[in-house]
Amino acid sequence: MAAMFTVEHLKKSFETENGTIDVIDDLSLSLEEGRFLCIVGPSGCGKTTLLRILCGLDPPTSGTILINGSPPDPRKQKFGVIFQEESLLPWRNVFNNVKFGQEINKIGASDEIAKKYINLVGLEGFENYFPHQISGGMKKRVAIARALAVDPDIIMMDEPFADLDAQTRWILQKELLSIWSQLKKTAIFITHNVEEAVFLGQYVAVLSKRPAKLKTLINIDLPYPRSRLAAPFISYREKIIDLLREEIPSIS
Amino acid sequence: MSTVRSYLRSAKSIVIGLASIATFLILWEAVTRVVNSPFLPGPYSVFLAFIQISTVGDIDGYSLGWHSAVSLYRVLLGFLAGAVTGIPLGLFMGIKLTVKDVATPIIEPIRFIPPIAWIPLSIVLLSGLTRFTFLIWVGVFFPVLLNTIAGVRRTSITLVNVARTFGADNNAVLRHIIFPSALPEIMTGLRVGLGIGWMCIVAAEMIGGDPVGLGRLILKYANFLQIDVVIVGMVTIGLIGLAMNYAILLLEKRMFRWRVEVTT
Repeated sequence: MAAMFTVEHLKKSFETENGTIDVIDDLSLSLEEGRFLCIVGPSGCGKTTLLRILCGLDPPTSGTILINGSPPDPRKQKFGVIFQEESLLPWRNVFNNVKFGQEINKIGASDEIAKKYINLVGLEGFENYFPHQISGGMKKRVAIARALAVDPDIIMMDEPFADLDAQTRWILQKELLSIWSQLKKTAIFITHNVEEAVFLGQYVAVLSKRPAKLKTLINIDLPYPRSRLAAPFISYREKIIDLLREEIPSIS
Repeated sequence: MSTVRSYLRSAKSIVIGLASIATFLILWEAVTRVVNSPFLPGPYSVFLAFIQISTVGDIDGYSLGWHSAVSLYRVLLGFLAGAVTGIPLGLFMGIKLTVKDVATPIIEPIRFIPPIAWIPLSIVLLSGLTRFTFLIWVGVFFPVLLNTIAGVRRTSITLVNVARTFGADNNAVLRHIIFPSALPEIMTGLRVGLGIGWMCIVAAEMIGGDPVGLGRLILKYANFLQIDVVIVGMVTIGLIGLAMNYAILLLEKRMFRWRVEVTT
């Protein structure tokens, strides 16, 4: 299968008062259509910067990113991006938040499609609630439904579950996998949580410390649903933790 | 249970409020009896003057209702002018920091010139309705502008990013994210601006035009030393201002049900 998503020799640096800071240096990656890639890296290695570049919010300093053969441009392609922070429009209820992406995307907002994805994330009956009336986990479900409702070419997530309690996080990880296996969308999931990466990803890209490069790409050859207690799961997890530990010697 | 309690609570505050007004009127009456000056009328003679001006009208034949309506019309024109200039400029200054840097050193000193200080200049340059409108506009413009800027600056960057990743251009970001996000502050600016504009009515109506309007009524009867009618005008200005403020507060409460601090 041809790669739908490729990153070649990506470099990103910022000019500051204290000179140039290289955040990403010579990062290359590729992913086939319909696959689930997790990206992990040590804290502060530039994961969020990477996601902003991948979804076209920021331009790379050099290098190329191709999504279905063209550089990322949210006005020409359809992205479903899910952020770590609160990202629902507080003045819209659940239903209109889910419709928001479609309205912006000019694909014509459809009530039926919004309804379908609200049901898919299990929020039937909460259509008229405002964001401040629902829990953190439910807000994430709305954000997932909103991203899916535009029928995105690719889903990109930046630590979407980092703010949630462990229980809610586990439930949402499972549901995300079940939604992904139904829709077979290409997915990129950035996290600092190694266990989360091994639980979700078909591939885990381990980044080096800043400036971030691809340290290792690991194929997690385990069937879904994965058990966090199974020996192979633990061995993948420990292997990745060891790789990250090499990047931050001080924590070992 | 809790509704009964909150009902009792609000009944209690209404009783306290009425008692407070009654005490104030009694004190006022007591002070006028002690001072015993023809220039300090008590509440009863003010009430009689109110009936007189409302029904018969003033010496030029204009009733209190007509004075109020004319003043309201002038203030609403100035308010409209303040809104259509303050909101777009505020949005623009909030979004483009360079525009803010250019405009701030000009706007900031002007902001501290009270509307009353504009009167001589406006008498020379403007006349009639344009002058009324201008003087009210001076009062309305700055609160609207400053609150709009504050509202825009408060917009969450994450929400802008969400819109951008769905392919929003600058127009769509303004329409779907920045404007609705700033709307509560804009409404606050409009409410404060309308209040200040309304308080400028006496200054605006000080000179020129027909002898009609609440400001003119006050000044006209001050010249006759008929203070009871002056107080009728003052109280009418106070009550209309209060009613307008309350009406906008109710509108805000309806519009911003999505805000946590409004619903609780």
